[in-house]
This record gives sequence, structure tokens and C-alpha cells, in this order.
Amino acid sequence: MSFWDKQPYLTFVPFVMLFKLAWRNIFRNKRRSIITVSSIIFAVIFAVFMRSLQYGAYGNMLKNIVSSYLGYIQVHKQGFWTEKTLDNSFSPEDITYLLDHENISYLSYRVEGFALASKDDNSKPVALLGLDVQQEKNRLGLDKKVVQGEYFTNRKTGILVGIGLRDIMSLRLGDSIIFLSQGYQGSMASGSYPIIGFIDLKTPELNKRTVIMDLAQAQELFAMPNMVTTAVLGLKNDNWEETQQEVIARVDTNQLEVLNWNEMLPELQQLIAVDKAGGLFVLFILYSIITFSLFGTVLMLTEERSFEYGVLIAVGMAKNKVIIVAILETILMAITGIIAGLAFAFPVVLYFNIYPINLSGQMQEVVEKYGFEALIPTSLDPSIALSHAGIIFFIVLAVNMYTIVKIKRLEPIKAMRR
Amino acid sequence: MIKVTHVTKTYDDGKVRVEALRGINVEIKNGEFTAIVGPSGSGKTTLLNIIGGLDTPTEGNVIIGETNIALLSENQLIDFRLNHIGFVFQSYNLIPVLTAKENVEFLMLLQNKSEAERDERTTKLLKAVGLEDQINKKPNEMSGGQQQRVAVARALASKPDFILADEPTANLDSASTANLLDIMYRLNQEENMTFVFSTHDQRVIDRAKRVITVEDGKILSDIYT
Ligand SMILES: Nc1ncnc2c1ncn2[C@@H]1O[C@H](COP(=O)(O)OP(=O)(O)OP(=O)(O)O)[C@@H](O)[C@H]1O
Ligand SMILES: [Mg+2]
Repeated sequence: MSFWDKQPYLTFVPFVMLFKLAWRNIFRNKRRSIITVSSIIFAVIFAVFMRSLQYGAYGNMLKNIVSSYLGYIQVHKQGFWTEKTLDNSFSPEDITYLLDHENISYLSYRVEGFALASKDDNSKPVALLGLDVQQEKNRLGLDKKVVQGEYFTNRKTGILVGIGLRDIMSLRLGDSIIFLSQGYQGSMASGSYPIIGFIDLKTPELNKRTVIMDLAQAQELFAMPNMVTTAVLGLKNDNWEETQQEVIARVDTNQLEVLNWNEMLPELQQLIAVDKAGGLFVLFILYSIITFSLFGTVLMLTEERSFEYGVLIAVGMAKNKVIIVAILETILMAITGIIAGLAFAFPVVLYFNIYPINLSGQMQEVVEKYGFEALIPTSLDPSIALSHAGIIFFIVLAVNMYTIVKIKRLEPIKAMRR
Repeated sequence: MIKVTHVTKTYDDGKVRVEALRGINVEIKNGEFTAIVGPSGSGKTTLLNIIGGLDTPTEGNVIIGETNIALLSENQLIDFRLNHIGFVFQSYNLIPVLTAKENVEFLMLLQNKSEAERDERTTKLLKAVGLEDQINKKPNEMSGGQQQRVAVARALASKPDFILADEPTANLDSASTANLLDIMYRLNQEENMTFVFSTHDQRVIDRAKRVITVEDGKILSDIYT
């Protein structure tokens, strides 16, 4: 006869008693219980904080790149993203009908070309970005990223230069830069432009090689009137996956390509995947240690208590009830540890969300080399905390399999032999 | 009534073969106060374990009341022990984290007895073993003799058919031994509770109404005093 099938209407009373037994057992060896609970608290804090930091870093990076520059979805002439030549350009009129889509609020056109930038005898290859300075100011808040000089407020001439490039070429406000490049369909392109401001695009890689000018000026420089290489789709909500599919269905895909930020940033995706895997490896080690230490606790508990379990079974306590008492002890410790761990982790994660960690020194250099911003706010996604709480709870259940098997096989007279 | 017929018990671990019991036949009637005696290794513990359903005989039958306990499954046997047999072991009988009162109440909780019944019976039993002023003490706050008295009270709490006690006084001094024997004797006299206990102690043997002597796994003598 098992635990529940005997007079089920009264089983609540024994359960309270089993709970009481398990609870009091926790206090029998206080030091061990404290160590067990502390190790769980530590694991929860460590795992949650580490993952929040990692996911926060990715989120921040993507937010910077996607929301302030790339957009979720872009339309190009078919083949532009793999072969970025100006010949792969199209006329904005070809896609204005996309504005009819309910999730598309605006289309932002750009010319993206390359040029050799020279000042005195100093030259660097740069990415020349021609965009609608008025529209991008409103949409992307580009003007707020100007750290020195000013945005195209009352003018459409001049250029904004990334702060990385400024440092490399020792540029100053008012300097003129000469660009040399190949224009549309093999024409020569050259021109001299004054620097009106320096801009921080929040991504070191971009800062090092970006020059921004008005769309019309870029079209003139490259001799491609009314042609653009890029249209950024402004979305009303973040549901870019569905929107991309719907846009693909509406355009002539022989002529145009519709790419999402994932497809445009495969290296970034790879980098994130590698970083996530690294994090998983660290967590794997952490959880292995936790598993072994919990298993050690369970092993000791089961061995120590087996005389008592023998007495309980001898006097008539069903094995299932003994099992409940035994595993409830570690489960209660786990729940305590998990709740305390989350309670400690939450303010820490919240703090570093509000006051992001600012990497410095060598760390900063390394991080920036890979295009990360050295400022890392933690992610507040609750699924991070929940999943790690779940993993630890699962580990506790798993190591308790030992106790269950042990009690199932326990013979009272053997257990009670001293 | 306990009826043991042709019981043998052979321990065989592949290397060593021990015939702990070699054909035991014995009947113990309700209300008896029986001591099982014999030298060390003679088979007293083995016999008590088999009668109590803690061990199974190699051959033979043990019938308690109407039930042949050799036919019960493991879980049925546990349940049978809970409702029909009281146990007092040599020592460390009690649950360390529970008080005297909670220890006595424990089996009644497993039996799903009502709170009123549990309270009434616990109070009565702790009084019967002379521990009414110790009800809230944990085992480690009590003497060995007091612990054994709690164990007797616990064994009685589930209203068993009889109580089995394997050397219940082995770890007690003579005063505690006498006290425990007095209590068991009185419960036997007043409540007609059946006791079967093993012992080495001559003073305990002297109190028994029936003495079964075991040697080499066989009954050597069976005397009513
Ligand atoms: N699990 C076992 N495996 C092998 N042999 C055993 C086992 N249990 C008991 N024996 C043997 O069976 C015989 C009877 O043992 P038992 O414990 O019943 O004796 P006892 O009369 O209770 O002795 P004591 O007075 O020392 O308690 C002994 O020879 C003992 O070694
Ligand atoms: Mg013995």
C-alpha cells in the first residue's frame, strides 16, 4: 500500500508531520546545511549575474548597431550586400509602395560607398555614408551623437567624421578632407568637404572608418542622381521577422534583396554564439561543482540517517513516506538557497543595469576591438533568473535519485546493525 | 497469538553458511510475558526479527492472528507491522528531532488517528511509563532508561497485538532496568499486553512468566514459571 491510497482524506496530517521532520532535520547539522545553502546561493548569484551581464552586453551591442544605425531591415539592389559597389543601386521610386505596409512607418535612403580620404599627406580608406540628414536626425537622433562641432542644422554641406578616424588622422573642426573614389558606372569621383562635427556612433569599428554627409551631396560626388544603395525600413514595432517575410513577398526579388540585421551581421552573430558558448562552458563547470557538492551532501545525509530510516521502516513507516522526509530535507534547502540567491542577485543585476559596468584598460581595448561598447548594462530578462533557478532545482532532484534508490532498497535489520 | 512452525533460517553469502535457526516450533498466546534467552549467537535476534516480520524465514511459517506473514509483500508487511506489532530495540529507537510526546504520537499519525485520540492516548501512555513531566524533551535530553520508556510508550501507541523487544535493557543500569521491567510487567498485568523479549540479564529472566531457551538455533527448553 502506498502513501496516498490509504485513507486519502486524512493524508494531510501525516504530510505536515513529514514536513516537520524534514524541516527539523535541516537544523541537526547546522554547519553542513549552511554550507549547502550557501553554495546554492553562490551558484544562483554567479550564474544569474554572469548571464545577465552577457545577455546585457549582446542586447546593448545590438541595440546600438541596429537601432541607431543599421535598422532591423534593409532593402538593397540584389547582390549589394555581398558586392558593395555603387553600380548595385536602385531608384527610391521603385519601393515607395512599401509605405503601405502597416508596420512600416518610413523609408530612409542612403548611399554607401567607399573612398580614400586625404588630409595633407595622410590618407585612409573610409566608408562614406550619404543619408537624409534631416530625416535621420529625427528618426535616429543622429544629432545627439555629435560630440564635437554641430549637426547639419541649417546646412546640408560639410561632413561628420567618426571620432576614431579623427584620432587616427589627427583631424580638427574646419579641416577639409579630399575624397577620391570611383563613382557610378566607372566615373571619377572627387571632392573636398569641410568637417563640421565629430560623431560617436557607439561602436569603435564604425567610429574608425565612418564619414557622414547629406544624401544629395553623396549622390553628386558619386555622380548618381536619384539613385541610392540602401533603404532602411523604419518599423512601428519590433516584429521584424514577420515584416521581413511580408516585404519579401511584395518586392521583385530578382531586382531587390531584403535583409534583416542578422543576415547583415553574420560575424556579430558568430561572435555572440562563441561568447555564449564560452559562458555555457563556465556554467557547465560551475554546475558540475555544485552537482558534486550536493551529491556529497546527499550521500552523507543518506549514510548518516540510514539507521534512523531503518528504525522508521521497522516500526511501520511506509518507504514512500521515508523518501519524502529524506528528499524534502535537501529540497527545502535548495528552495531556501534559490530564493535567497535570487534575492541577492536581483539588486546586483538591477544596479548594474542602471549603472552599467564600464570596462577599462586592457579589457576595454579587447572588447572594443571586437566592436563591443565597453559599457555593459546587465539584462533584466527574468527568464535568465528563472532558468538558472530551474537548473539548480533540477540538479537537486537528480542527486536525490540516490536517496530514493537507497531507501527503496533499504532493509531495516541491516540498516539497524551497528 | 503467534504461531511459529518449522522455521529455519540459513544465512548464505556464497562463502559462509550459517544456520541461525534450525527448526523452531513455538506458540505464544495473548497475554504472555515471555523471555527468550540463550548464549550469544544462539539465534534470539533472528527469531524475534522473523516473528516481527523484519526478516523472512528460509523455511516454515509465522502466523500472527489469522495472517501468515510469510505471504505478505514488502509494503503489506510494513503496514502489518505498523498496525499489529510494537517494537522496542536495544537503543536509539526514537526519532532524534522529535520530542517524547511527538515520538509517541508518531505511529498514530501514520495510522491517521484523529487529533483527539492521539492527544488522549499519548498523555495516558507517557503517564503510564512515568514520563508525564518529560513530554517536551528530545531524546538527547533524556537518560537511556527514559528513552526506553518512551520507546515502550510508542510501541503501545499503535495498539499492537504484542510487543517485541530485543534486549531492551542491554544498555541500561540496574535501576533503570528494574524500572523498565516494572512498567512492562504492569502493562502486561493491567492491559493484558503480550510481551516477547530477549535478554542476557538474569534479573530480567527472573521477572518473566515464561522462559524459552534457545541454543544453536533450536529450542532447548520452554518453561512457565
Ligand atoms: N545477516 C547475517 N548474515 C550472516 N550471519 C548472520 C546474520 N545475522 C545473524 N547471523 C548469524 O546467525 C547466528 C544467530 O545470530 P543472532 O543475532 O540471532 O544471535 P543472538 O542470539 O541474537 O546473539 P546475541 O546474544 O549476541 O545478540 C549467529 O551465528 C550470527 O553470526
Ligand atoms: Mg541478538
